[in-house]
Amino acid sequence: MMLTDQAPALIVVIPLMCALLTPIIGLVKKELCHIWVLFALALSTAFAVSVLLAVISHGPVHYYMGGWMPPWGIEYVIDHLNALMLVLVTGTALVVAFYSPKSIERELPDKLTYFYTVFLLQVTGFLGIVITGDVFNLYVFLEVASLAGYALIAAGEEGAPLASFRYLILGTIGACFYLIGAGYLYIVTGSLNMADLAAALPELYHSKVILVAFAFFMVGIALKMALFPLHMWLPDAYTKAPSVASALIAPLMTKIAVYIMLRIMFTVFRPSFSFEILPVSTIMVVTGIAAILVGAVMALAQIDFKRMLCYIIVAEVGYMVGGIGLANETAIKGAILHVLNDVVMTLGLFAVAGIITYVKKSHNLSDFQGAFKKMPFTMAAFTVIGLSVIGVPPTCGFFSKWYLIQGSVIAGNWYFVAALLFSSLINIVLFFRILEIGYYDQGDHGNQEKGAGRKFTEAPVSMLVPALFIAVLIILIGFYNQPIILGIIQHSVPTL
Amino acid sequence: MFDLVMAKYNFWIYIVLMMIGFYAMIAKNNLIKKIVGINIFQTAIILFYISISFKRGATLPILTESDMHGHTTIEIAQYLNPLPHVLMLTAIVVMVATLGVALAIAILIYRKYHTLEEDEILKEAK
Amino acid sequence: MKILGLIVTMVTGALLMYGTADMPDWGDPNSPANSRISPRYIEKTEIETATPNIVTSILADYRGYDTLGETTVIFTAGVSCILLLRRRRKG
Repeated sequence: MMLTDQAPALIVVIPLMCALLTPIIGLVKKELCHIWVLFALALSTAFAVSVLLAVISHGPVHYYMGGWMPPWGIEYVIDHLNALMLVLVTGTALVVAFYSPKSIERELPDKLTYFYTVFLLQVTGFLGIVITGDVFNLYVFLEVASLAGYALIAAGEEGAPLASFRYLILGTIGACFYLIGAGYLYIVTGSLNMADLAAALPELYHSKVILVAFAFFMVGIALKMALFPLHMWLPDAYTKAPSVASALIAPLMTKIAVYIMLRIMFTVFRPSFSFEILPVSTIMVVTGIAAILVGAVMALAQIDFKRMLCYIIVAEVGYMVGGIGLANETAIKGAILHVLNDVVMTLGLFAVAGIITYVKKSHNLSDFQGAFKKMPFTMAAFTVIGLSVIGVPPTCGFFSKWYLIQGSVIAGNWYFVAALLFSSLINIVLFFRILEIGYYDQGDHGNQEKGAGRKFTEAPVSMLVPALFIAVLIILIGFYNQPIILGIIQHSVPTL
Repeated sequence: MFDLVMAKYNFWIYIVLMMIGFYAMIAKNNLIKKIVGINIFQTAIILFYISISFKRGATLPILTESDMHGHTTIEIAQYLNPLPHVLMLTAIVVMVATLGVALAIAILIYRKYHTLEEDEILKEAK
Repeated sequence: MKILGLIVTMVTGALLMYGTADMPDWGDPNSPANSRISPRYIEKTEIETATPNIVTSILADYRGYDTLGETTVIFTAGVSCILLLRRRRKG
């Protein structure tokens, strides 16, 4: 019984401690690192699932660090929303860890040990952000996650250091804005605990300090999530990162920023403040629509597959932010369901991108030529994921879009409906273009490569299994979306 | 008016400092200058937090001998607010760590392009 | 770029200045930050942690978990530098 009581702390501490030991294990035997990381993440995932089950059956879990009661000490608060996020983060990391060895062996052969160390630290940072109930503690783990992210991205292909440097500058501005926001709240409330802030703030809602703090929180987080006018760092950084790093960071970083936004808007501040006192709702919907349009159009213009995916992420961030901005229960439900779906779909897309990079050593759209014949399993997985991104019914992508559209109809916002439909249309073009390349083009190298062209060059099993697993997961989430919404997401929507 | 200035001028100074750093981060061409900008920005935030903890007429948050053994009741206004100090110890470490990673990436860039001017790097990267 | 940077900086600075208007005065012992949570640290540090230095008692005890995060940040930065800068020995 002892161990399960400590589960909330162990979710974060296990990857952290294992990260400390990884360099030592690497000294003994490099190949063991991979097993070690898998072990750490499997344990962490098990605890995350146990906490999720506990939250579903008994309601929010509180864990006091060092036994100090909040607001004096740091507390972990796990409600339905972040229990779901915890499972998503640990699960994604586990899948990526399973997927990683072949890809790292090819892309970063001599940096394996340290790559895995930073990989675990990155996951620790993500988990620390998601689980905490303290504004400043969130900042500390935000920096852990960011620093690890800069390093993982800079270790990538040519041009990666420059992309990472730009990300570092903008990411640091984002984190600093967040810290200023926390400071402004502290100076008028004297508290850093989210629940305590929520109790102290309502009487101060018309104070200028609070308005500025809220604005800085939102801009800082928008920088981290690459919301439309501030998305400039994302495409370069995620395109040039090593395949494994982009498969870990691309699905999670932006979605965790969305999570922080939800926390700030609905837990620290009350929804009534976020939506009524400031014109936040309108701003969010407008930027959401702009992000969707710009993301979709820019994705269409890319010839690099990974870069195209990056612009799809920009558009997807627009879905979520716009959905939250619509400020009704259905739309927010849709936005949260879309966080779940988007993590899974983006993970799948970047897993496929990693396979393509592994087999062809580059990741352009033209690398898909003849892929259906040479890599049928990868392409089957890719087709399912693509259908989900487009939003075709049995897959999970359909349901979150359905809720978002329903929500925007309730809000009477037809522009958002139009933007969603437009984006789906563009996605159809994007994915069917790739499928077409995969079907019909048989390689442009002429006759001498014909023999080689027919060979079966499927990806290694360790990379293929995760991709297929994600494809299956997408359909499963699609079928079980009702239990997920009623059991988990329903409870994380604030009462408006 | 004078009272307002006297009551708030230190916050304004930190804000000006923050903005100097912020400007360097977004507008300077040299990568090292951008990194210096990060440092100025974060140092200004640290100063801002520390100034929150100030109480007029108070001393360092270390208990004196007479307060230590419960002979007298502790006068809260006598000691500075210790919490921002703790937070900023953490923030200083974060600042140093960011500086380290930023410089490491700058070294990588220099190895590749042999310059740290952003426009020259972009010209070469094309 | 320079002009745009200047405008962004000015707007941000003006917003921050605007916020200071409703702040408690500098050095006010009764401001919320100085009177809401922190008195307990000063009052109870000796009973609860037996440490005269209050900053130490918060750093290592009340908010010790932040300090774990802080050391993690340093470790991350160190390993990141090794990851980025280590070059394969040419043998």
